[in-house]
Amino acid sequence: MKNSCQFPGAKLRGVAVALISVVAATSLAAQEPAPFTMPIPPAAHLVAITNAAILTVSHGTIPRGTIVIREGKIAAVGADVTVPAGAQVIDATGRYVMPGIIDEHSHSALEAVNEITNSVTAEVRMADVVKQDMPTIYWQLAGGVTMIHVLHGSANAIGGQNALLKLRWGLPVDSLFFEGAPSSIKFALGENPKESNFQAFQGHPRYPQTRMGVEEVIRDAFTRAVAYRTEWQQYEAARHAVRRGQAEPIPPRRDLKLDALVEIMDGRRLVHSHAYRADEMLMLLRVAHDFGFRVASFEHGLEGYKIADEIAAAGTGASIFADMWGYKLEAYDAIPYNAALLTQRGVKVAINSDDDERARRLYQDAAKTMHFGGVSETDALKMITLNPARMLGIENRVGSIDVGKDADLAIFNGHPFAPASRVEMTLVDGRVFFDRNTAPTLDYLMQQLKEQRQHRGPVAAGRGAQ
Amino acid sequence: MRLALPASAGAFLTVALAVPAPCRAQEGTWALTNARIETVTKGVIEHGTIVVRDGLIQTVGADVAPPADARVLDLSGRTVYPGIIDLISTLGLPAAPAPGARGAGGGGAPAPAEATPAGLQPDRMIADEIKPTSADIKSLRDGGITAVLVAPARGAFRGLSALVPLRDSLTEQAVIRSPVAENLGFEGAQGRYPETLLGVIAYERQAFYDAQRQALLLDRYRANPVGVARPAYDEQLGALIPVLKGDLPAFFFAKNENEIRRAVRIGREFGLKLTVVGATEGFRATDALKATGQPVVVSVDFPKPPEVTGWQYRWTERHAPGDSAEADSAARPIIEGNAAALNNAGIRFALSSGGSLRSAEFFANVRKAIKAGLPRDVALEALTIRPAEIAGVAAQLGSIEPGKIANLVVTEGDLLGDSAKVRAVFVDGARYEVVAPPAAPAGRGRGAASGAEPADVGGTWDLSVSTPQGSNQATLTLTQSGASITGQLTSEMGSAAVDNGEVAGNSVSWSTTLTMGGQSMTITFHGDVEGNRMRGSAEIPGMGSASFTAQKRTP
Repeated sequence: MKNSCQFPGAKLRGVAVALISVVAATSLAAQEPAPFTMPIPPAAHLVAITNAAILTVSHGTIPRGTIVIREGKIAAVGADVTVPAGAQVIDATGRYVMPGIIDEHSHSALEAVNEITNSVTAEVRMADVVKQDMPTIYWQLAGGVTMIHVLHGSANAIGGQNALLKLRWGLPVDSLFFEGAPSSIKFALGENPKESNFQAFQGHPRYPQTRMGVEEVIRDAFTRAVAYRTEWQQYEAARHAVRRGQAEPIPPRRDLKLDALVEIMDGRRLVHSHAYRADEMLMLLRVAHDFGFRVASFEHGLEGYKIADEIAAAGTGASIFADMWGYKLEAYDAIPYNAALLTQRGVKVAINSDDDERARRLYQDAAKTMHFGGVSETDALKMITLNPARMLGIENRVGSIDVGKDADLAIFNGHPFAPASRVEMTLVDGRVFFDRNTAPTLDYLMQQLKEQRQHRGPVAAGRGAQ
Repeated sequence: MRLALPASAGAFLTVALAVPAPCRAQEGTWALTNARIETVTKGVIEHGTIVVRDGLIQTVGADVAPPADARVLDLSGRTVYPGIIDLISTLGLPAAPAPGARGAGGGGAPAPAEATPAGLQPDRMIADEIKPTSADIKSLRDGGITAVLVAPARGAFRGLSALVPLRDSLTEQAVIRSPVAENLGFEGAQGRYPETLLGVIAYERQAFYDAQRQALLLDRYRANPVGVARPAYDEQLGALIPVLKGDLPAFFFAKNENEIRRAVRIGREFGLKLTVVGATEGFRATDALKATGQPVVVSVDFPKPPEVTGWQYRWTERHAPGDSAEADSAARPIIEGNAAALNNAGIRFALSSGGSLRSAEFFANVRKAIKAGLPRDVALEALTIRPAEIAGVAAQLGSIEPGKIANLVVTEGDLLGDSAKVRAVFVDGARYEVVAPPAAPAGRGRGAASGAEPADVGGTWDLSVSTPQGSNQATLTLTQSGASITGQLTSEMGSAAVDNGEVAGNSVSWSTTLTMGGQSMTITFHGDVEGNRMRGSAEIPGMGSASFTAQKRTP
C-alpha cells in the first residue's frame, strides 16, 4: 500500500467497535484530569505478575507462572518464581501474558509521512515529525501493541529514515523513542515509486515511471554514495597526512542524503523496502549485493512465497499482511498462505498493520496464519513479537519473555488467538500504560464525539469569535 | 494586512476609503507637561515633562521647563508610555504568491532551474518590500503600537526582517533596523521540495551544513586567495553565514510544543542564536525554551483548547461526560497563563500580537495574560523594552529616556487596564492624535464613559454607508442591556452579528464580521446618537473608514 490509508470515520468506528463490549465496573470515581496531560503510570521498580499463563515465545508456554519485573526489565520468569517482598502484584489468574506486540510497519503518530517531491529522500527523518498525543497510540496499546516502527511512505524509491517508538502514552515526545534502536530507512519498489496510482506533480510525470527506472534511481543514488564515501576517505587521509605549517584540506560538502546511503553500505542503517512482486524483490537483492548491503526486510512482500529461498538466503525478513490481496494490479498474485510458505522455507515473517486501525488487532491477524497453512502457535506469535524484533535488530531487548529483556507485556483475558479474547492490560517497561478497568466507556466516547463536533464550529469559523 | 475582496464585496464596502481618515502627523518640538510618565526603565514620574525634539526624546523629568520653541501639550490626567513594539507582523508585505506551476523532481538530477520561491529565500530583504497603506499603519498605531518587526508569515527560510516605525508614508528610509534576524519556520513549498514538514527540516539542516562549508571556503579565500579556487558566489548561503556565526539571530516561528522542540533542536545542532517566536504552548516546553539561553517572543493569539497539544489525551481518559465547558474553563487559564508560566520559569520574553490580532484584541489578550498571573509591570516591559532588546535596538527604543527615539503612547487610564483609551501616539517625534469615536457636539475629552447614562439605542435602524459609488443600505437591529448591545446587521452581503457592542453616553460602537469567499473581515463602527439619529464612521481593515448615518424606525 502507498501508506496508511485513512478513511474518514474509520478511526472512530474502530473505537466504538473496540469498546462496545466493555461493561467495565466503574469503581473509579470520575475525575477531571488536568488539561493537556495524561496521568503517567508510576515507574516499575518492583512488579510481579502472578498466576498467569505465560507465552514466552522463546521457550514455550508456562501454564501457571510468575514474572518479576525490576526497574522495567524482566528479572525472573517461571513456574516456581517467588514474589519478592514489596513487589506490586498484578494477579493474572486465568489470564495470558505475551510479549508486547511490535508493529513492524506503521505510519501512526506522525505529522507527515511522504516527502513526495523527490524519488530519493534519504535525508528526511521520521523522528522529526512524531506527534505524541495522537489517541491511536492509546488504542494500539489497547490492542497489546507496545512498539511501532514508523516508516516513511512508499512514494519514493528511497524514502526517509524511520523511527522506532515505544508507546509510552502520555510521556513527553522525546520519551517515546526506543533508546539504542539501530537506524533504519524505507525503500519502495513497484507501482508507488513509479507513480502508477498517483502523481507527485500534477500533469508532470516524475521520474521514474517504470520498474526499470526504480532500479536505476536506486543504483544511481548508491553510485553517487560510493563516490561520496571515497571523497570523504580521501579527505580523511589527506587530513591525517597534513604536516605542521601546512593548510588543512577542505572537507567535501556534507550531503545528508548520501550520508544515509553510506550508512547503509557500512551496515549501520537497515533497509526496509516496500515491495510486492517477486521480480522487483530479486532486483533489490541484486542491487544490495552489488553495493554490499543486506536488506533487512521486504515490507508487504506479497509474492515472497515465489522466491522464499532467495529471500531466506539473503537473510532478509518478510513483513507482510495476513490476508490482503487483489486491491491493486501488483497485488493480484497475493495469497494468504504467504506467511506459512515463507516460514516453511526459513524466512522470518512479521505480520504488520500499515494502518492505525488494523494495528489494534494484530494478534488476530497473526492467528490467521495458523488457519492459512497451519503455522504453529509459537511461529504465529513470533510474527508479531520476536520476528519483527529481529528485523529491527532489537531482539536482544524485546520480543520475548526472557530474563533481562524489557518488560513490555500484553495481558489478555484468554489466549490471544482465541476469537473472543481481548487485552486487559498493557505494560511498557513494566509500567501499566493501558488498563481496561480505567479505559473510557462507550458512553464517554460518544459524549466526547459530541463535544468535539461542538468545538469544531468556532474553530472552523476562524478568529475573532471568542 | 491584506484582504483580497471578491467583487461582490465592492458594493457595500468600496473605496471611498482610498482617502484615509484625516489624521496628519504633527511634526515639531514638543513639551509634554503634567503627565504621568511610565519610563519602564527608570520608574514612574507622577508629574513630569517630556521634551521631544528632532524625533528624539531630549529630556525627561519632574522639573523640566518647556523650551521656548516647544509646543506645549498639557497632559494632565494622562499617562505616557514608551511606544509598543510588536515583533510579529506582516505589515505592508505583498500577499503570498499564488501556488506556481509545479516543478518537476527527478531521481538524482537537480530540479530544473527555476526561481527560488518565497519561503526558501534566506537572502530576501524584507526592508526592500514593505509597502503598507496608511490605513493599515493607522489601525495599529491607534492602539499604541509604534514599531513592528516585519517578516513573512510562512516558509522555511523567510528572509531578513526589518523593524519599522508606524509613521504615515512609511518609506525605506524610515527603517529602524534591518536586518534584525533571519526568519525560519516549518511551512513547505508548494509543488516542489521541500513540501512537507519532513522535507522542510531536512532542507534547513542541509542549508546550514552548506552554509558552514561556504563560510569555511570564504574564510580561506579571504585569508589568502593565492592558489585557492574562488568560492562560488551564493547569496542564499551568504545570508546564512552570519546566522551560523551568531552575528545575526535566528527567529524561528514555532507555536506548539513540538514545533518549539524541533526549532530548539535545530538551533542547538548549529549553535544558532535562536529566538523562538510564537510559543503559544511555551508552557509545555519551558525546558526547551530555557535551553536556548535567548529570550522568546510570545504571541497572545491564544489557541483554542482543542488545538493545544495534549487535548487529545482526553479521548483516552475516563472522566465525567458532558464536561466540555468545565474542561474549557480549566484549559483557558493554562493557555492564557502561558506568559505567566514562562515568567515563573525565569524566561525573558516579549509579548506580541502574533501578527493577526487587531490592536484592540492584542491588548485585550495581554490583559487576559495579566489576569492569568503575569505581573502587570512585566507585561509592560514585555511590550516595550524587551522587544527592543530582542530586536537589538534597546539603545534607541523601548523606554522613555533622553536620547531615545520619541515613540510614545499617551493614554487616559492604564494602558494595560480595562478602560484604557489611547489619545495620542508619537512616532519619531511626530504626533498622531487618536481620534476617538467621531466628533460629538460636546467635543473631545468630555469623559463620555465616566458619568453619562448610556443612550437608548435598542430597536431597528436603517443604516446608510457612504462610498464614492453612492450610498449602501443596511438594516441594524440592536438589543440593549445597559452599556452593552447585541444584534444583527443585515445587508445585501447577508446577515452578521453585532459583536463587542458598547454604548457610552451618546457614543455607540460595535464590530461586525462579514465573510466573503472564505475570507472574513471585521468592520468596526463608531457612532454618536442623537435621539433617533446616529452618525459616525465604519473602519474597514486595509481600506480606511467610511461615514455612515442611521435612522431609528419608530415603533
